[in-house]
Amino acid sequence: MAIIERPSAVPATVGAGGTTELVTPSRALGAYRRPVSTTGWKSWLFTVDHKKLGIMYGAVSLFFFLVGGIEALLIRLQLAAPDNTVLSAGLYNEMFTMHATTMVFLFVMPMAAAFANYFLPLQIGARDVAFPRINAVGFWLFLFGGIFLNTSWFLGGAADGGWFMYSPNSSALFSPSHGIDFWVMGLQITGIASLVGAINLIVTVLNMRAPGMKLMNMPVFTWMVLVVQFLLLFAMPVITVALFLLSFQRNFGATFFDVNQGADPLLWQHLFWIFGHPEVYIIILPAFGIISEVLPTFARKPLFGYKFVVFSGAAIGFVGWGVWAHHMFASGLGPVSVAVFSVATMLIAIPTGVKIVNWTLTLWGGKLWFSTAMLFSIGVIVLFTIGGVSGVTHAVAPSDTQQTDTYHIVAHFHYVIVGGAVMGLFAGFYFWWPKMFGQMLSERLGKWNFWLMFFGVNLTFGPMHILGMQGQPRRMVVWPEKLTGDGFFDLAFWNQVASVGSFVIAAGVLLFVINIFYTAKKKVAAPLDPWDARTLEWITSSPPKEHNFDRIPTVHSLDEFFHRKYEEVDTENGPKLVKVKTAEEVLAEEEANADHHIHLPSPSYWPIVLALGFPIIAYGVIFNLLLTIVGTALVLLAIFGWCLEPSVADDSDYDPPAGGDSTKELATLG
Amino acid sequence: MDRSEATVTTLGEMSSTRRRWPLAALAVSAGTFLASCASNAPQDYFDPAGPNAEKIDTLQRPVFYIAGVVALIVIGAVGYIVFKFKDRGQDIPEQSHGNPKLEIALTILPAIILAGIAVPTVVTVFDLNKQDDTECIINVTGQQWWWEYDYATGECGGVEISQPIVTSGELVIPADTPVLLRVTSRDVIHSYWIPRLNGKRDAVPGRLHTLRMQADEPGIYTGQCTEFCGLSHARMRQAAVALNQADFQTWVDNQLEPYTAPEAGTLAATGEQTFIANCSKCHQVNGIANADGTPVLSDPDLYVVSGVAPNITNLMTRTAIAGWTFDLINEECRDALWTASPDEFGAMYLAGVTPDCFDEAALRDWLRNPPGMKPMYVDPNNLDSTGGKYRGMPMLNLNENQIDELVAYLLERK
Repeated sequence: MAIIERPSAVPATVGAGGTTELVTPSRALGAYRRPVSTTGWKSWLFTVDHKKLGIMYGAVSLFFFLVGGIEALLIRLQLAAPDNTVLSAGLYNEMFTMHATTMVFLFVMPMAAAFANYFLPLQIGARDVAFPRINAVGFWLFLFGGIFLNTSWFLGGAADGGWFMYSPNSSALFSPSHGIDFWVMGLQITGIASLVGAINLIVTVLNMRAPGMKLMNMPVFTWMVLVVQFLLLFAMPVITVALFLLSFQRNFGATFFDVNQGADPLLWQHLFWIFGHPEVYIIILPAFGIISEVLPTFARKPLFGYKFVVFSGAAIGFVGWGVWAHHMFASGLGPVSVAVFSVATMLIAIPTGVKIVNWTLTLWGGKLWFSTAMLFSIGVIVLFTIGGVSGVTHAVAPSDTQQTDTYHIVAHFHYVIVGGAVMGLFAGFYFWWPKMFGQMLSERLGKWNFWLMFFGVNLTFGPMHILGMQGQPRRMVVWPEKLTGDGFFDLAFWNQVASVGSFVIAAGVLLFVINIFYTAKKKVAAPLDPWDARTLEWITSSPPKEHNFDRIPTVHSLDEFFHRKYEEVDTENGPKLVKVKTAEEVLAEEEANADHHIHLPSPSYWPIVLALGFPIIAYGVIFNLLLTIVGTALVLLAIFGWCLEPSVADDSDYDPPAGGDSTKELATLG
Repeated sequence: MDRSEATVTTLGEMSSTRRRWPLAALAVSAGTFLASCASNAPQDYFDPAGPNAEKIDTLQRPVFYIAGVVALIVIGAVGYIVFKFKDRGQDIPEQSHGNPKLEIALTILPAIILAGIAVPTVVTVFDLNKQDDTECIINVTGQQWWWEYDYATGECGGVEISQPIVTSGELVIPADTPVLLRVTSRDVIHSYWIPRLNGKRDAVPGRLHTLRMQADEPGIYTGQCTEFCGLSHARMRQAAVALNQADFQTWVDNQLEPYTAPEAGTLAATGEQTFIANCSKCHQVNGIANADGTPVLSDPDLYVVSGVAPNITNLMTRTAIAGWTFDLINEECRDALWTASPDEFGAMYLAGVTPDCFDEAALRDWLRNPPGMKPMYVDPNNLDSTGGKYRGMPMLNLNENQIDELVAYLLERK
């Protein structure tokens, strides 16, 4: 959306061209005004501030992380003993379906979106994203979609077809409850969120970088997020189509996957995995980006081979589209397809390996500071490497026909997703918490948090390698004693170890939650630059002001902030880096030269209203088509409101300023 | 600079002890890993028992070793670096942005390793899809939640099959003979997997896939359905049973033997009538006839979504029921059979469910309340989505007398 300046008591002095032609919209009526609250619940409901939205994305994702975690614990409880009866077969199927769906779509993806929302504009020196209202609608769609999906538990049972939802097992004949309908519509709703978010962030990166922030000066996190947005942009439409086909089949009698009507069930598998494999990189690349920020910061040296890391990230983004059928090596594709996808899959190991090597070499010769964020990042290198090399064994197609659908695969992707993506996100929590909230998470609790999670992951998912290799298939509500083999280390033993491990992970996560409350209660202000950091987000105050930067920084190099603090000085032993400025001095310099007129988008009522219409439509599709009319009407109303609301709030909408200050700007100068 | 040199010297002094630890770590890890595995796990795919699984094993072992070594090297390197470059008050390092030559080298190295893996992979992929050496074809069809085997007439590993044989649960094959399975499904996708004989192949409705199957020696090789197929996916199991040629001939002859009705006046004879009244709508026993001599023919397609129910003409030649989940023989006999030497195995298997081995508990429970043992969609009040048809075996409300009669009757089906 365009940002149009509000008239202001402060004369506009920005820009040589002069922005004297101010647009003053005529007074709008009633709901067609813009909300103005800057505090209280309204300021959150109607916000378009990327930072507030980022925090809300994070809080909601964390909640769903706990939900998905409880589902995982129930699964491990059920599998702790042979022929166990903690969960019934039907409930178990719902549990693993929703565990995967929740963790992928409602935790890892939106948590990455939380960081992207919050830090991408800060890292490129922008005041907000390109389309702030669309940003807001994205969040609300994610929230409502996630809630909608989980209401299925209370309305006849959740989806029970596995997160891959293979046809024809997902048809109404074989899954008569409404669970899969909820799943389909829920993912459609969160899918819109991902899609609009992707467009928004791509435009933001391409158009809104600070002066001097060339693409190859961008922090790696921003780069990885950019790659992910392109993956989302092309992957989400594919799953959207697949979901539409499925919902028309289930709800309106279409026969896209009906074998009796000549359909081939493999159509669904291709559609799902053409989305599903890029999805794997959508999950992991943001974490790669985070640790590419954390490792250099705590090694006190730049990322080794920045260009290699960026290009290998982009290469993963491209090659990631040519490997989807490696999920289908046992599907009966025929030897030619299998051979081609097998080799393509090996190819993708190369850019991934490049990253591991570069992170390791970033540490080489450094001055390593083992903060919690650093420990999590090193944990990612170790655990992701294990997940990576077991991935290479799956690429060997004949071997994969043995491994697929066994616990060996479960071990592999949990090392990648928990050991890689989730640990990476935790590195992000500890690294950026002081920036987001101005308070330091307890490092002491943090280290316990790390070690419990690190050991927990190995304890839970390590034994699954053995379980899989010795023939235990996945998605089984029970495992029989007679297939566990002999000896002390039989499969029953390893199943128990895995179950114990899952509770160790849970203890680690619990410590993180405790840490949040402990930190919030303690209310100790964090130093401005606690980590001696390197990138632009640290150049402003913590938490950043609503307008992010008093002066849009001019960028001269990669690691701009570091180079403002440090200069090379010649000594008798050769050049040496010396700190010439503190972070406070850098910030003071920026504040002293603040931009005189800062314009920010006004909050809006309409994103949340627009988003609210979608779950109503979805309930309508499932229960009563009349409801879809209500939902559609709400969406249309919101679209009209969105279009017709003034671009900024009217002056008279603001409370009279308390101090008699005539400036009523949303964003006052720093 | 001075300080870092000092560090190097210190490390040099310690290196004699440290140089050995990566090797030791490697040995310990590898040893621990191997010792950590269960022995005699029946579905261990690193324990091949036939040429197809053997080919996979030969291909995958070096890959697993290379993967393990690469992981250990990276983890070892990270551990070493973390120790060596820990902040001990050294200066802020030079802000170096990398070393392109080193990086290109480190990009090419994995590419070479992967090329070395790719070539044998592709060769094996095509190898495992060969069909021209087939000596026996068996149709394998999955449905919720059991496997049906249908032996086409013709030669199978030197044994002539004169009439089709339809069985379930246990895939009986001639040992040391290349068998080709033609795999499909009647409802959702399943996947046929006997880990010690070959990788898995999905059974997809509307598609016919082939899977090579060959066992070197007589024995029983267990497996499970490995594509998630709904409510009782965990209770859809199977086994391949390999017999030498003479034993296989015996097995075929037995399967094709004409029906022998129970002796009049016995409990089994009453059981036959109970069977006709309660079971024969879905389950076929070949040759069974009504009192007036007309054949009793099952119509499972009227009652079951997949359109079939297991043929139980020779039920007691198999060792488990209901998707090969519940044993017909006691644990002792099962262990003896599973661990029998290849020479003894054939005779033991062909003896079928002997009175000594018969464990009637599972069969009785099953007749009493099938969905109580294995979750299925058989609630008569809740069959809207299937138009009144069952997915699985419903509860028949048999009384204990009827169960006694049926058990007596079924015991003779061998």
